Amino acid sequence: MFHLKRSRLLFGVFSRLQNASKPTALTSASIYQDQVKHNPFVKMDNPYKEPHKGCILCNVTVDFKNIQLLSQFISPHTGRIYGRHITGLCGRKQREISKAIKKAHAMGFMSVTHKHPDLMRDPNICSIKHVD
Amino acid sequence: MPRYELALILKAMQRPETAAALRRTVETLMVRGAVVRDMENLGERLLPYVMTKHNQRHRRGSYFLIDFYAAPSILTDVVDHLHRDVDVVRPTVLKKDTQSSKQTCCALLASKLADG
Repeated sequence: MFHLKRSRLLFGVFSRLQNASKPTALTSASIYQDQVKHNPFVKMDNPYKEPHKGCILCNVTVDFKNIQLLSQFISPHTGRIYGRHITGLCGRKQREISKAIKKAHAMGFMSVTHKHPDLMRDPNICSIKHVD
Repeated sequence: MPRYELALILKAMQRPETAAALRRTVETLMVRGAVVRDMENLGERLLPYVMTKHNQRHRRGSYFLIDFYAAPSILTDVVDHLHRDVDVVRPTVLKKDTQSSKQTCCALLASKLADG
């Protein structure tokens, strides 16, 4: 690798010397410019960039039939749908969940005033602590 | 023809009566020119709330999902027919949404916004 870099630098310098129809000064800037021409690795994205985090339902399809998923975003005591500041979902997914819950209510799949007792022991996704 | 989904809640009955009710429903659809694609049984369970229909209070029901292709003009007829059927507690016809997987998720959108 070292030899390559040196040879590239020297090559740049030699080509300048050979093409010296006009006398050009061998400044460090001109040497760097030569380096830039031959070095393909100058421009690149930040390799340490972290992948952008999405909300928890990023690749999950929301369905009105999946009442277990929908029940994770309602209150266990009153059955009310939690707001965005509690669920932590992005705009699109929050709307999808909200619409699916209301659809499930209307079609007779999910209860309105409470959470199904079998689903009470599901892990808590939303950032809310219940005083039981 | 657009694709629809019928979420049917039938009264809690014995197996031959449930079968007869389903048969009647599917025949109703096919007579009006619908093509039934798929039928799923979601089981018999306790209804989330007491539903009163045809002067009866229902606590338990069997859930079925029927996928079908149909012309939009027959839907009002089908729903009217199902409302009059004594064994059906709650019929709901929905359009089947098949495009949800094509949308970009929020992480990809956020990264695109950050770059551009």
